[in-house]
Amino acid sequence: MKSLIKNLLKSEISILIRNSLNIKPISIKTNQENYPTTVSDAFLWRTDKGYKTKFKYSDILNFFYKIKNSWVELHFYNKNNQLLKIEKIESLNLSNELEITSEYLNDIKDYGVFYIYHFSENDKDLNNGSIISNRCYLGFSYNNNLHSFIHGNILVKFTSVNSKQKISTDIVKTSLFNNQIYTIQKYFNDFDNNELFFVNPTSKIIEFSLENKKFRLNPHCTMVVETQNSIISIKSNCLFIRPTIFSYKGKYMDVHHS
Amino acid sequence: MNYFFGIKHDILKSEIQIPLFQNRILKLSNLKLFKCYPENEKWVLKNISNTKINEYFYFLKNENISNKEIYFLADDEIYKKFDETKLDNFNSFTDTKPEFRSNLKIYINDGGFSSYQSEYPYSMIKKRGTILSSVSSLANSDAEKNYIIIKNIFEKPIEEIFKAYLVNFKTKKIEESFEIKTNNTNCIEINKKLIKPEIFLTTKEYLGIPIYVSLKNNFLSFEHTHPPHEYILSRDKFIKVSEIKKEINEIID
Repeated sequence: MKSLIKNLLKSEISILIRNSLNIKPISIKTNQENYPTTVSDAFLWRTDKGYKTKFKYSDILNFFYKIKNSWVELHFYNKNNQLLKIEKIESLNLSNELEITSEYLNDIKDYGVFYIYHFSENDKDLNNGSIISNRCYLGFSYNNNLHSFIHGNILVKFTSVNSKQKISTDIVKTSLFNNQIYTIQKYFNDFDNNELFFVNPTSKIIEFSLENKKFRLNPHCTMVVETQNSIISIKSNCLFIRPTIFSYKGKYMDVHHS
Repeated sequence: MNYFFGIKHDILKSEIQIPLFQNRILKLSNLKLFKCYPENEKWVLKNISNTKINEYFYFLKNENISNKEIYFLADDEIYKKFDETKLDNFNSFTDTKPEFRSNLKIYINDGGFSSYQSEYPYSMIKKRGTILSSVSSLANSDAEKNYIIIKNIFEKPIEEIFKAYLVNFKTKKIEESFEIKTNNTNCIEINKKLIKPEIFLTTKEYLGIPIYVSLKNNFLSFEHTHPPHEYILSRDKFIKVSEIKKEINEIID
């Protein structure tokens, strides 16, 4: 009986009700699948406004599980969640990097997200319940200056390490109402401008508001909002919608997670 | 409970914004800001609430910051609770999900700036352990200079020297070692030759937060690495991380 109640409380419908009523809300839940799982963050890329993006990632199957000859796939999407390209990378080092420029993305000067999945044909050293997640690092170079780095921040999509399962999502949970508030713990008073990059981590439409303006973000889409407010509070129906922030002063730029 | 910290350095300046609100409720608190630091093997406590800049934030400028000091929010009950021999979990105001954070910014005079949302959780203060951080994940061989800031806070008011190492995971050799201190913000400079995939930063006796700084043409990058257990979300994370740490410890032993 106890385990039945426990399972009911953890079911998707129960989570939605809890989140909608703000009763012990659940932001993120990774399910243990019956296969070894590779989970990816949604990593922001920028090639707009003089930006290029460097991606640094490690061979975590080799590092933690001593699995050799694994490979990664990077799936690039534009801001409207249209697939741009899939890059398969073999011959991995313990630590690797990739420069994402507009040339790399067929002359696209814009922004969007990409995902990284680790694959191996040899998954016998992994348990069926193993879940790996490469949190990685992103460096943003503004006008060819030094890359400023941030780490991965939001678990979004997953599939099986043996690449035989479809890609799934909805690790981040939602609410029926716009009852989730997140206030960024930074005072934005000293900048010329601030860009807030929002990514919808779910397969549902996300609504959010800030500075009394309402926004609607389609599944897995990306949006930038410019702001000059000193205090930034976001209200939404998503339990984890925390933008990546670019703050500007003079010719200098700072990027960080909120 | 979270503590906060800054960086005092010859080239790098720092500033800290400590919020007086939780991130899910914009309700302002009247908590005061305190600093403490170790002196003669005792914690010294001081009220620094005069650093409040408005109803939302305390703001510590570079001249208000010391590498030995840590900062936290509390009310006047702190004077009864404070134990000069051991840091404690004084209140729950900063126990939030998502984590309660300050904005820690580094900058150089007439140059660039870089920040991250920073905290040092009380749960880390009680523990000893090993840092493990991939150097090439955040160090930048294109930069003029690369530093790793290693912040340690330990519950006892001691400034004990311990070692940090740059080890080669392939050759199983120590490439370089450094002496750093507990209850300090330590800074080590990284030789560009050691920015390679097989080089890892590790410590033996104490935990800490490794934060990487790169500098070029007055532009800065400032970010911490993930602890290794964040790469595995399943139950085998503790086994796998302890296996890796054992392998690294064998190199430094």
